[in-house]
Amino acid sequence: MILTIAGRELRGGLVTPLLWVLLGASQVVLAWVFLKVVDDFSGLGADERVASLSLEVALNLFGFAAVIAMLAAPLIAMRMLSAEFRDGSFDLIGAAPIHLYTVVLGKFLGTAALLTPLCLLPALNLTLLAGTAHLDLGLCAAATLGLWLAALMFGAIGLYTASLSDQPGAAVLAAFGLLLLFSIIGRAQDLSIPGLSLFGWLAWNEHLFWFLLGAVRVSDLAYFLLFTGFFLALTHRRLANRRLA
Amino acid sequence: METLVRVTDLTRRFGPHTALAGLNLTLARGEVLGLLGPNGAGKTTCLRLLSGNLAPSSGQVEIAGIDLARNPVAAKRLLGYLPERPPLYQDLRLDEYLQFCARLHRVPRAKTADAVAEAKHRCGLDGLGRRPIAKLSKGFRQRLGIAQAILHRPPLLILDEPTEGLDPVQVREVRNLVRELSRDSGVIFSSHILPEVQAVCNRVAILHRGRLLRGDHLAAHQSALIWRLRLSAPAHCASLAALACVAAATSLPDERIRVVLKPDAGPEELTRQLVAAGLGLQELTPERSDLERVFFDLIGAEERT
Repeated sequence: MILTIAGRELRGGLVTPLLWVLLGASQVVLAWVFLKVVDDFSGLGADERVASLSLEVALNLFGFAAVIAMLAAPLIAMRMLSAEFRDGSFDLIGAAPIHLYTVVLGKFLGTAALLTPLCLLPALNLTLLAGTAHLDLGLCAAATLGLWLAALMFGAIGLYTASLSDQPGAAVLAAFGLLLLFSIIGRAQDLSIPGLSLFGWLAWNEHLFWFLLGAVRVSDLAYFLLFTGFFLALTHRRLANRRLA
Repeated sequence: METLVRVTDLTRRFGPHTALAGLNLTLARGEVLGLLGPNGAGKTTCLRLLSGNLAPSSGQVEIAGIDLARNPVAAKRLLGYLPERPPLYQDLRLDEYLQFCARLHRVPRAKTADAVAEAKHRCGLDGLGRRPIAKLSKGFRQRLGIAQAILHRPPLLILDEPTEGLDPVQVREVRNLVRELSRDSGVIFSSHILPEVQAVCNRVAILHRGRLLRGDHLAAHQSALIWRLRLSAPAHCASLAALACVAAATSLPDERIRVVLKPDAGPEELTRQLVAAGLGLQELTPERSDLERVFFDLIGAEERT
Protein backbone atom coordinates (compact mmCIF):
# COMPACT_ATOMS: atom_id res chain seq x y z
CA MET A 1 0.00 0.00 0.00
CA ILE A 2 2.94 2.32 0.73
CA LEU A 3 4.21 1.67 -2.79
CA THR A 4 0.76 2.33 -4.27
CA ILE A 5 0.67 5.78 -2.69
CA ALA A 6 4.32 6.48 -3.54
CA GLY A 7 3.68 5.35 -7.11
CA ARG A 8 0.78 7.74 -7.49
CA GLU A 9 2.82 10.62 -6.12
CA LEU A 10 5.69 9.76 -8.45
CA ARG A 11 3.41 9.57 -11.47
CA GLY A 12 1.70 12.81 -10.48
CA GLY A 13 5.09 14.47 -10.03
CA LEU A 14 6.39 13.29 -13.38
CA VAL A 15 3.44 14.54 -15.43
CA THR A 16 3.38 18.02 -13.88
CA PRO A 17 5.96 20.57 -15.02
CA LEU A 18 7.18 21.49 -11.52
CA LEU A 19 9.80 18.72 -11.28
CA TRP A 20 11.14 19.32 -14.78
CA VAL A 21 11.38 23.05 -14.28
CA LEU A 22 13.21 22.46 -11.00
CA LEU A 23 15.62 20.00 -12.60
CA GLY A 24 16.25 22.27 -15.59
CA ALA A 25 16.85 25.38 -13.50
CA SER A 26 19.05 23.45 -11.06
CA GLN A 27 21.16 22.06 -13.88
CA VAL A 28 21.74 25.55 -15.31
CA VAL A 29 22.86 26.86 -11.90
CA LEU A 30 24.98 23.81 -11.12
CA ALA A 31 26.64 23.91 -14.54
CA TRP A 32 27.61 27.51 -13.87
CA VAL A 33 29.03 26.69 -10.43
CA PHE A 34 30.84 23.69 -11.91
CA LEU A 35 32.37 25.82 -14.68
CA LYS A 36 33.47 28.44 -12.14
CA VAL A 37 35.14 25.84 -9.87
CA VAL A 38 36.96 24.09 -12.69
CA ASP A 39 37.97 27.41 -14.24
CA ASP A 40 39.36 28.76 -10.97
CA PHE A 41 41.16 25.51 -10.24
CA SER A 42 42.79 25.25 -13.65
CA GLY A 43 43.88 28.90 -13.41
CA LEU A 44 45.99 28.24 -10.30
CA GLY A 45 49.51 26.90 -10.37
CA ALA A 46 50.19 23.51 -8.79
CA ASP A 47 51.77 25.13 -5.69
CA GLU A 48 48.88 27.56 -5.19
CA ARG A 49 46.25 24.84 -4.92
CA VAL A 50 45.19 24.28 -1.33
CA ALA A 51 42.72 21.46 -1.94
CA SER A 52 42.25 18.72 -4.52
CA LEU A 53 39.86 19.23 -7.41
CA SER A 54 37.57 16.58 -5.96
CA LEU A 55 37.33 18.45 -2.69
CA GLU A 56 36.83 21.83 -4.38
CA VAL A 57 34.06 20.40 -6.53
CA ALA A 58 32.44 18.56 -3.61
CA LEU A 59 32.37 21.59 -1.36
CA ASN A 60 31.08 24.00 -3.97
CA LEU A 61 28.94 21.90 -6.31
CA PHE A 62 27.35 19.59 -3.74
CA GLY A 63 27.09 22.38 -1.20
CA PHE A 64 25.19 24.50 -3.70
CA ALA A 65 23.03 21.54 -4.73
CA ALA A 66 22.03 21.16 -1.07
CA VAL A 67 20.80 24.75 -1.03
CA ILE A 68 18.78 24.06 -4.20
CA ALA A 69 17.36 20.89 -2.62
CA MET A 70 16.39 22.98 0.38
CA LEU A 71 14.34 25.24 -1.91
CA ALA A 72 12.95 22.38 -4.02
CA ALA A 73 11.84 19.95 -1.31
CA PRO A 74 9.04 22.11 0.16
CA LEU A 75 7.71 22.80 -3.35
CA ILE A 76 7.54 19.10 -4.13
CA ALA A 77 6.15 18.18 -0.71
CA MET A 78 3.39 20.79 -0.72
CA ARG A 79 1.62 18.97 -3.57
CA MET A 80 1.41 15.82 -1.53
CA LEU A 81 -0.66 17.06 1.39
CA SER A 82 -1.42 20.75 1.38
CA ALA A 83 -2.71 20.86 -2.20
CA GLU A 84 -4.71 17.68 -1.57
CA PHE A 85 -6.40 19.22 1.45
CA ARG A 86 -7.24 22.26 -0.66
CA ASP A 87 -8.60 20.25 -3.63
CA GLY A 88 -10.51 17.84 -1.39
CA SER A 89 -8.74 14.81 -2.86
CA PHE A 90 -7.38 13.86 0.55
CA ASP A 91 -10.91 12.68 1.44
CA LEU A 92 -10.29 9.73 -0.86
CA ILE A 93 -7.38 8.60 1.31
CA GLY A 94 -9.24 9.57 4.49
CA ALA A 95 -12.09 7.18 3.64
CA ALA A 96 -9.85 4.39 2.33
CA PRO A 97 -9.07 1.34 4.49
CA ILE A 98 -5.43 2.21 5.11
CA HIS A 99 -3.41 3.21 8.15
CA LEU A 100 -2.18 6.77 8.40
CA TYR A 101 1.44 5.68 8.70
CA THR A 102 1.22 4.05 5.27
CA VAL A 103 -0.01 7.39 3.93
CA VAL A 104 2.90 9.26 5.53
CA LEU A 105 5.50 6.72 4.39
CA GLY A 106 4.02 6.52 0.90
CA LYS A 107 4.06 10.28 0.49
CA PHE A 108 7.58 10.45 1.90
CA LEU A 109 8.79 7.75 -0.47
CA GLY A 110 7.22 9.68 -3.34
CA THR A 111 8.99 12.87 -2.22
CA ALA A 112 12.28 10.99 -1.93
CA ALA A 113 11.88 9.49 -5.39
CA LEU A 114 11.21 12.92 -6.89
CA LEU A 115 14.17 14.51 -5.08
CA THR A 116 16.64 11.77 -6.01
CA PRO A 117 17.31 12.98 -9.60
CA LEU A 118 18.15 16.40 -8.17
CA CYS A 119 20.66 14.79 -5.80
CA LEU A 120 22.28 12.93 -8.67
CA LEU A 121 22.75 16.06 -10.78
CA PRO A 122 26.14 17.11 -9.26
CA ALA A 123 27.54 13.61 -9.74
CA LEU A 124 26.22 13.65 -13.29
CA ASN A 125 28.07 16.91 -13.94
CA LEU A 126 31.25 15.34 -12.60
CA THR A 127 31.13 12.59 -15.22
CA LEU A 128 32.21 15.28 -17.68
CA LEU A 129 35.62 15.21 -15.99
CA ALA A 130 35.90 11.43 -16.22
CA GLY A 131 39.03 10.54 -18.15
CA THR A 132 40.49 14.03 -18.00
CA ALA A 133 41.08 14.40 -14.28
CA HIS A 134 41.65 12.07 -11.37
CA LEU A 135 38.60 12.29 -9.18
CA ASP A 136 38.18 10.75 -5.76
CA LEU A 137 35.18 8.51 -6.40
CA GLY A 138 34.78 7.71 -2.74
CA LEU A 139 34.54 11.39 -1.94
CA CYS A 140 31.93 11.90 -4.66
CA ALA A 141 29.92 8.95 -3.39
CA ALA A 142 30.05 10.26 0.18
CA ALA A 143 29.03 13.74 -0.96
CA THR A 144 26.12 12.34 -3.02
CA LEU A 145 24.98 10.26 -0.04
CA GLY A 146 25.17 13.30 2.23
CA LEU A 147 23.24 15.41 -0.24
CA TRP A 148 20.58 12.74 -0.59
CA LEU A 149 20.20 12.34 3.17
CA ALA A 150 19.92 16.11 3.55
CA ALA A 151 17.28 16.16 0.80
CA LEU A 152 15.32 13.43 2.62
CA MET A 153 15.34 15.52 5.75
CA PHE A 154 14.20 18.59 3.80
CA GLY A 155 11.45 16.45 2.26
CA ALA A 156 10.29 15.31 5.70
CA ILE A 157 10.24 18.93 6.93
CA GLY A 158 8.34 19.90 3.76
CA LEU A 159 5.78 17.15 4.36
CA TYR A 160 5.31 18.24 7.94
CA THR A 161 4.62 21.87 7.04
CA ALA A 162 2.40 20.67 4.16
CA SER A 163 0.31 18.80 6.71
CA LEU A 164 -0.18 21.98 8.73
CA SER A 165 -2.07 24.07 6.21
CA ASP A 166 -4.42 23.68 3.27
CA GLN A 167 -2.77 26.72 1.71
CA PRO A 168 0.20 25.38 -0.30
CA GLY A 169 1.83 28.83 -0.36
CA ALA A 170 1.74 29.09 3.42
CA ALA A 171 3.06 25.53 3.74
CA VAL A 172 6.03 26.32 1.49
CA LEU A 173 6.86 29.51 3.38
CA ALA A 174 6.64 27.72 6.71
CA ALA A 175 9.03 25.06 5.39
CA PHE A 176 11.46 27.71 4.14
CA GLY A 177 11.35 29.37 7.55
CA LEU A 178 12.02 26.10 9.36
CA LEU A 179 14.79 25.11 6.98
CA LEU A 180 16.47 28.50 7.21
CA LEU A 181 16.33 28.24 10.97
CA PHE A 182 18.02 24.85 10.74
CA SER A 183 20.65 26.43 8.47
CA ILE A 184 21.62 29.35 10.68
CA ILE A 185 20.98 27.91 14.11
CA GLY A 186 24.66 26.89 14.30
CA ARG A 187 25.65 30.53 14.38
CA ALA A 188 23.93 30.97 17.72
CA GLN A 189 26.72 28.81 19.11
CA ASP A 190 28.75 31.95 19.73
CA LEU A 191 26.02 33.18 22.06
CA SER A 192 25.87 30.11 24.22
CA ILE A 193 28.32 28.61 26.67
CA PRO A 194 31.50 27.59 24.86
CA GLY A 195 31.89 23.84 24.71
CA LEU A 196 28.16 23.14 24.73
CA SER A 197 27.50 23.07 21.01
CA LEU A 198 23.88 21.95 20.90
CA PHE A 199 22.99 24.64 18.39
CA GLY A 200 25.96 23.71 16.26
CA TRP A 201 24.81 20.10 16.31
CA LEU A 202 21.29 21.09 15.24
CA ALA A 203 22.42 22.78 12.01
CA TRP A 204 22.24 20.48 8.99
CA ASN A 205 25.08 22.17 7.13
CA GLU A 206 27.58 21.22 9.80
CA HIS A 207 26.71 17.56 9.26
CA LEU A 208 26.64 17.75 5.49
CA PHE A 209 30.09 19.35 5.61
CA TRP A 210 31.65 16.11 6.84
CA PHE A 211 30.04 14.15 4.01
CA LEU A 212 31.45 16.69 1.55
CA LEU A 213 34.91 16.12 3.01
CA GLY A 214 34.42 12.45 2.26
CA ALA A 215 33.83 11.32 5.83
CA VAL A 216 30.71 9.24 6.44
CA ARG A 217 30.31 9.44 10.19
CA VAL A 218 27.69 7.53 12.10
CA SER A 219 26.81 10.65 14.08
CA ASP A 220 25.99 12.56 10.89
CA LEU A 221 24.02 9.63 9.46
CA ALA A 222 22.14 9.46 12.73
CA TYR A 223 21.45 13.20 12.67
CA PHE A 224 19.79 13.11 9.24
CA LEU A 225 17.86 9.90 9.89
CA LEU A 226 16.77 11.09 13.32
CA PHE A 227 15.36 14.37 12.08
CA THR A 228 13.75 12.74 9.03
CA GLY A 229 12.03 10.30 11.34
CA PHE A 230 11.12 13.04 13.80
CA PHE A 231 9.38 15.18 11.18
CA LEU A 232 7.62 12.16 9.68
CA ALA A 233 6.33 11.29 13.14
CA LEU A 234 5.11 14.88 13.54
CA THR A 235 3.38 14.62 10.14
CA HIS A 236 1.64 11.44 11.26
CA ARG A 237 0.54 13.08 14.46
CA ARG A 238 -0.75 16.09 12.59
CA LEU A 239 -2.74 13.96 10.13
CA ALA A 240 -4.25 12.01 13.00
CA ASN A 241 -5.21 15.23 14.78
CA ARG A 242 -6.61 16.76 11.62
CA ARG A 243 -9.71 14.59 11.99
CA LEU A 244 -10.35 16.24 15.33
CA ALA A 245 -9.96 19.83 14.14
CA MET B 1 -33.17 -7.05 8.43
CA GLU B 2 -29.45 -6.86 9.05
CA THR B 3 -28.32 -3.56 10.58
CA LEU B 4 -25.51 -2.08 8.52
CA VAL B 5 -24.96 1.22 10.26
CA ARG B 6 -25.72 2.16 13.82
CA VAL B 7 -25.10 5.75 14.85
CA THR B 8 -25.40 6.42 18.57
CA ASP B 9 -25.60 9.87 20.05
CA LEU B 10 -23.23 11.35 17.49
CA THR B 11 -22.14 14.90 18.29
CA ARG B 12 -19.65 17.09 16.52
CA ARG B 13 -18.55 20.55 17.61
CA PHE B 14 -16.35 23.01 15.74
CA GLY B 15 -15.19 25.28 18.53
CA PRO B 16 -18.28 26.85 20.07
CA HIS B 17 -20.42 25.85 17.08
CA THR B 18 -22.28 22.55 17.31
CA ALA B 19 -22.62 21.14 13.81
CA LEU B 20 -24.32 17.92 14.85
CA ALA B 21 -26.02 17.20 18.15
CA GLY B 22 -26.92 13.76 19.48
CA LEU B 23 -27.73 12.05 16.18
CA ASN B 24 -29.15 8.54 16.35
CA LEU B 25 -29.63 6.56 13.18
CA THR B 26 -29.73 3.03 11.91
CA LEU B 27 -29.57 1.74 8.38
CA ALA B 28 -30.29 -1.77 7.23
CA ARG B 29 -28.98 -3.51 4.15
CA GLY B 30 -31.21 -2.75 1.20
CA GLU B 31 -32.35 0.60 2.56
CA VAL B 32 -31.81 3.98 0.98
CA LEU B 33 -31.68 6.75 3.55
CA GLY B 34 -32.03 10.29 2.34
CA LEU B 35 -30.45 12.98 4.47
CA LEU B 36 -32.40 16.16 3.97
CA GLY B 37 -31.93 19.60 5.32
CA PRO B 38 -31.37 23.21 4.43
CA ASN B 39 -27.85 24.52 3.87
CA GLY B 40 -25.75 24.33 7.01
CA ALA B 41 -28.00 21.74 8.62
CA GLY B 42 -25.09 19.36 9.26
CA LYS B 43 -25.58 16.92 6.36
CA THR B 44 -22.00 17.04 5.12
CA THR B 45 -20.60 16.92 8.67
CA CYS B 46 -22.72 13.84 9.31
CA LEU B 47 -21.47 12.09 6.17
CA ARG B 48 -17.86 13.07 6.87
CA LEU B 49 -18.20 11.54 10.33
CA LEU B 50 -19.66 8.36 8.85
CA SER B 51 -16.83 8.13 6.32
CA GLY B 52 -14.17 8.43 9.01
CA ASN B 53 -12.77 11.67 7.61
CA LEU B 54 -13.82 13.49 10.75
CA ALA B 55 -13.72 12.30 14.33
CA PRO B 56 -16.84 12.85 16.44
CA SER B 57 -16.73 14.99 19.59
CA SER B 58 -18.77 12.25 21.22
CA GLY B 59 -20.88 9.32 20.19
CA GLN B 60 -20.25 6.22 18.18
CA VAL B 61 -20.50 4.97 14.61
CA GLU B 62 -20.68 1.24 13.96
CA ILE B 63 -20.53 -0.20 10.48
CA ALA B 64 -21.69 -3.82 10.38
CA GLY B 65 -20.91 -4.03 14.09
CA ILE B 66 -17.36 -2.65 13.71
CA ASP B 67 -16.60 0.52 15.66
CA LEU B 68 -15.30 3.12 13.22
CA ALA B 69 -13.17 4.88 15.85
CA ARG B 70 -11.59 1.74 17.33
CA ASN B 71 -11.05 -0.23 14.16
CA PRO B 72 -11.12 2.30 11.31
CA VAL B 73 -9.35 0.19 8.71
CA ALA B 74 -11.72 -2.78 9.02
CA ALA B 75 -14.77 -0.49 9.09
CA LYS B 76 -13.65 1.57 6.11
CA ARG B 77 -13.27 -1.57 4.01
CA LEU B 78 -17.05 -1.73 3.96
CA LEU B 79 -17.74 1.75 2.70
CA GLY B 80 -17.63 3.73 -0.49
CA TYR B 81 -17.70 7.50 -0.09
CA LEU B 82 -18.39 10.33 -2.46
CA PRO B 83 -17.57 13.63 -0.70
CA GLU B 84 -19.16 16.95 -1.50
CA ARG B 85 -16.35 17.68 -3.96
CA PRO B 86 -15.33 14.59 -5.94
CA PRO B 87 -11.87 13.60 -4.62
CA LEU B 88 -10.03 13.55 -7.95
CA TYR B 89 -6.39 13.87 -8.90
CA GLN B 90 -6.16 16.39 -11.70
CA ASP B 91 -2.84 15.06 -12.95
CA LEU B 92 -4.00 11.49 -13.63
CA ARG B 93 -5.96 9.98 -16.47
CA LEU B 94 -9.37 8.52 -15.74
CA ASP B 95 -8.24 4.87 -15.92
CA GLU B 96 -5.12 5.53 -13.85
CA TYR B 97 -7.25 7.18 -11.20
CA LEU B 98 -9.74 4.33 -10.97
CA GLN B 99 -6.91 1.78 -10.86
CA PHE B 100 -5.36 3.72 -7.99
CA CYS B 101 -8.72 3.75 -6.17
CA ALA B 102 -9.03 0.00 -6.73
CA ARG B 103 -5.60 -0.52 -5.15
CA LEU B 104 -6.53 1.74 -2.20
CA HIS B 105 -9.64 -0.32 -1.58
CA ARG B 106 -7.71 -3.55 -1.93
CA VAL B 107 -9.48 -4.89 -4.99
CA PRO B 108 -7.42 -7.96 -6.00
CA ARG B 109 -5.12 -7.18 -8.94
CA ALA B 110 -6.71 -9.85 -11.11
CA LYS B 111 -10.13 -8.24 -10.68
CA THR B 112 -9.05 -4.61 -11.03
CA ALA B 113 -9.60 -4.34 -14.79
CA ASP B 114 -13.12 -5.80 -14.53
CA ALA B 115 -14.02 -3.61 -11.56
CA VAL B 116 -12.80 -0.47 -13.33
CA ALA B 117 -14.64 -1.36 -16.54
CA GLU B 118 -17.86 -2.07 -14.68
CA ALA B 119 -17.74 1.12 -12.61
CA LYS B 120 -17.06 3.14 -15.74
CA HIS B 121 -19.92 1.47 -17.56
CA ARG B 122 -22.36 2.02 -14.71
CA CYS B 123 -21.50 5.72 -14.55
CA GLY B 124 -21.51 6.32 -18.29
CA LEU B 125 -17.77 6.84 -18.59
CA ASP B 126 -17.07 4.24 -21.30
CA GLY B 127 -14.44 5.30 -23.78
CA LEU B 128 -13.04 8.11 -21.63
CA GLY B 129 -10.31 6.06 -19.95
CA ARG B 130 -7.43 7.93 -21.58
CA ARG B 131 -8.88 11.38 -20.86
CA PRO B 132 -6.91 13.47 -18.30
CA ILE B 133 -9.12 14.28 -15.32
CA ALA B 134 -8.17 17.98 -15.55
CA LYS B 135 -9.95 18.09 -18.93
CA LEU B 136 -13.23 16.54 -17.75
CA SER B 137 -16.37 18.65 -17.43
CA LYS B 138 -18.13 19.08 -14.08
CA GLY B 139 -20.73 16.42 -14.83
CA PHE B 140 -18.12 13.87 -15.82
CA ARG B 141 -16.11 14.62 -12.70
CA GLN B 142 -19.17 13.98 -10.60
CA ARG B 143 -19.74 10.69 -12.41
CA LEU B 144 -16.12 9.73 -11.86
CA GLY B 145 -16.57 10.52 -8.16
CA ILE B 146 -19.52 8.11 -8.07
CA ALA B 147 -17.56 5.50 -10.04
CA GLN B 148 -14.77 5.72 -7.46
CA ALA B 149 -17.25 5.13 -4.64
CA ILE B 150 -18.93 2.06 -6.16
CA LEU B 151 -15.80 0.55 -7.71
CA HIS B 152 -15.13 -2.00 -4.95
CA ARG B 153 -18.82 -2.87 -4.46
CA PRO B 154 -19.02 -1.68 -0.86
CA PRO B 155 -21.88 -2.84 1.37
CA LEU B 156 -22.35 0.76 2.52
CA LEU B 157 -22.42 3.67 0.13
CA ILE B 158 -22.23 7.25 1.38
CA LEU B 159 -23.01 9.84 -1.26
CA ASP B 160 -22.91 13.56 -0.56
CA GLU B 161 -25.17 15.27 -3.09
CA PRO B 162 -24.46 12.78 -5.87
CA THR B 163 -26.60 14.45 -8.53
CA GLU B 164 -24.98 17.86 -8.14
CA GLY B 165 -23.87 19.19 -11.52
CA LEU B 166 -25.44 16.42 -13.58
CA ASP B 167 -27.80 16.86 -16.51
CA PRO B 168 -31.41 15.64 -16.13
CA VAL B 169 -30.73 12.42 -18.05
CA GLN B 170 -27.79 11.62 -15.83
CA VAL B 171 -29.77 12.53 -12.71
CA ARG B 172 -32.28 9.88 -13.67
CA GLU B 173 -29.51 7.38 -14.36
CA VAL B 174 -27.96 8.05 -10.95
CA ARG B 175 -31.32 7.52 -9.29
CA ASN B 176 -31.67 4.20 -11.09
CA LEU B 177 -28.11 3.33 -10.12
CA VAL B 178 -28.82 4.06 -6.45
CA ARG B 179 -31.94 1.90 -6.58
CA GLU B 180 -29.99 -0.88 -8.23
CA LEU B 181 -27.15 -0.65 -5.71
CA SER B 182 -29.56 -0.67 -2.80
CA ARG B 183 -30.50 -4.24 -3.68
CA ASP B 184 -27.41 -5.56 -1.96
CA SER B 185 -26.05 -2.59 -0.07
CA GLY B 186 -27.21 0.24 2.14
CA VAL B 187 -27.10 3.75 0.75
CA ILE B 188 -27.04 7.04 2.63
CA PHE B 189 -27.22 10.12 0.55
CA SER B 190 -27.69 13.76 1.20
CA SER B 191 -29.58 16.20 -0.90
CA HIS B 192 -31.49 19.39 -0.64
CA ILE B 193 -33.69 18.44 -3.59
CA LEU B 194 -36.91 17.08 -2.14
CA PRO B 195 -38.35 15.28 -5.21
CA GLU B 196 -35.06 13.48 -5.61
CA VAL B 197 -35.16 12.13 -2.10
CA GLN B 198 -38.78 11.16 -2.54
CA ALA B 199 -38.01 9.37 -5.79
CA VAL B 200 -35.16 7.26 -4.47
CA CYS B 201 -35.28 6.84 -0.72
CA ASN B 202 -37.38 4.57 1.39
CA ARG B 203 -36.36 6.44 4.52
CA VAL B 204 -35.75 10.07 5.19
CA ALA B 205 -33.85 11.82 7.94
CA ILE B 206 -34.45 15.51 8.16
CA LEU B 207 -31.68 17.51 9.76
CA HIS B 208 -31.96 21.07 10.90
CA ARG B 209 -29.32 23.03 12.78
CA GLY B 210 -27.48 19.85 13.58
CA ARG B 211 -30.43 18.01 15.08
CA LEU B 212 -32.43 15.15 13.67
CA LEU B 213 -36.05 16.21 13.33
CA ARG B 214 -37.42 13.08 11.81
CA GLY B 215 -36.02 9.76 10.67
CA ASP B 216 -39.04 7.86 9.45
CA HIS B 217 -39.99 5.62 6.64
CA LEU B 218 -41.62 7.48 3.82
CA ALA B 219 -45.33 6.88 3.78
CA ALA B 220 -45.82 5.29 0.40
CA HIS B 221 -48.67 6.28 -1.88
CA GLN B 222 -50.32 8.53 0.61
CA SER B 223 -52.27 10.79 -1.66
CA ALA B 224 -52.25 14.49 -1.12
CA LEU B 225 -55.48 16.37 -0.81
CA ILE B 226 -54.49 19.67 -2.42
CA TRP B 227 -54.24 19.78 -6.19
CA ARG B 228 -53.73 22.41 -8.84
CA LEU B 229 -55.42 22.07 -12.19
CA ARG B 230 -55.79 23.93 -15.46
CA LEU B 231 -58.84 23.63 -17.66
CA SER B 232 -59.08 24.15 -21.42
CA ALA B 233 -61.96 26.64 -21.16
CA PRO B 234 -61.97 29.22 -18.38
CA ALA B 235 -64.35 27.85 -15.82
CA HIS B 236 -65.76 29.33 -12.70
CA CYS B 237 -64.66 27.98 -9.39
CA ALA B 238 -68.24 27.40 -8.47
CA SER B 239 -68.65 24.74 -11.17
CA LEU B 240 -65.69 22.90 -9.71
CA ALA B 241 -66.81 23.29 -6.15
CA ALA B 242 -70.06 21.70 -7.19
CA LEU B 243 -68.29 18.40 -7.92
CA ALA B 244 -68.96 15.70 -5.37
CA CYS B 245 -65.37 15.07 -4.38
CA VAL B 246 -64.29 18.70 -4.01
CA ALA B 247 -64.35 20.41 -0.66
CA ALA B 248 -63.23 23.83 -1.88
CA ALA B 249 -61.92 25.47 -5.04
CA THR B 250 -60.14 28.82 -5.45
CA SER B 251 -58.74 30.38 -8.61
CA LEU B 252 -55.07 31.28 -8.72
CA PRO B 253 -53.50 34.23 -10.59
CA ASP B 254 -51.89 31.98 -13.22
CA GLU B 255 -55.29 30.73 -14.49
CA ARG B 256 -54.90 27.56 -12.48
CA ILE B 257 -57.41 26.50 -9.91
CA ARG B 258 -56.52 25.20 -6.50
CA VAL B 259 -58.74 22.39 -5.39
CA VAL B 260 -59.02 20.84 -1.93
CA LEU B 261 -60.43 17.34 -2.03
CA LYS B 262 -62.66 15.75 0.51
CA PRO B 263 -60.67 13.46 2.83
CA ASP B 264 -61.82 10.21 1.25
CA ALA B 265 -61.37 11.33 -2.37
CA GLY B 266 -58.34 10.79 -4.59
CA PRO B 267 -57.09 12.23 -7.87
CA GLU B 268 -58.75 9.39 -9.87
CA GLU B 269 -62.09 10.40 -8.51
CA LEU B 270 -61.44 14.06 -9.30
CA THR B 271 -60.41 13.31 -12.89
CA ARG B 272 -63.40 11.11 -13.49
CA GLN B 273 -65.78 13.76 -12.26
CA LEU B 274 -64.01 16.52 -14.19
CA VAL B 275 -64.29 14.56 -17.43
CA ALA B 276 -67.89 13.64 -16.73
CA ALA B 277 -68.71 17.31 -16.15
CA GLY B 278 -67.04 18.14 -19.50
CA LEU B 279 -64.70 20.70 -18.01
CA GLY B 280 -61.76 19.85 -20.34
CA LEU B 281 -58.92 18.96 -17.98
CA GLN B 282 -55.48 20.04 -19.27
CA GLU B 283 -53.19 19.77 -16.28
CA LEU B 284 -53.36 18.25 -12.83
CA THR B 285 -50.52 18.48 -10.29
CA PRO B 286 -50.29 17.86 -6.57
CA GLU B 287 -49.66 21.14 -4.82
CA ARG B 288 -47.03 19.95 -2.42
CA SER B 289 -45.67 16.53 -1.91
CA ASP B 290 -45.93 14.85 1.44
CA LEU B 291 -42.25 15.19 2.00
CA GLU B 292 -42.28 18.85 1.15
CA ARG B 293 -45.11 19.45 3.59
CA VAL B 294 -43.37 17.48 6.31
CA PHE B 295 -40.10 19.24 5.60
CA PHE B 296 -41.49 22.74 5.72
CA ASP B 297 -43.70 21.96 8.68
CA LEU B 298 -40.71 20.70 10.65
CA ILE B 299 -38.28 23.41 9.59
CA GLY B 300 -40.93 26.08 10.03
CA ALA B 301 -41.85 24.82 13.46
CA GLU B 302 -38.20 24.80 14.36
CA GLU B 303 -37.64 28.34 13.20
CA ARG B 304 -40.59 29.72 15.13
CA THR B 305 -39.23 28.40 18.40
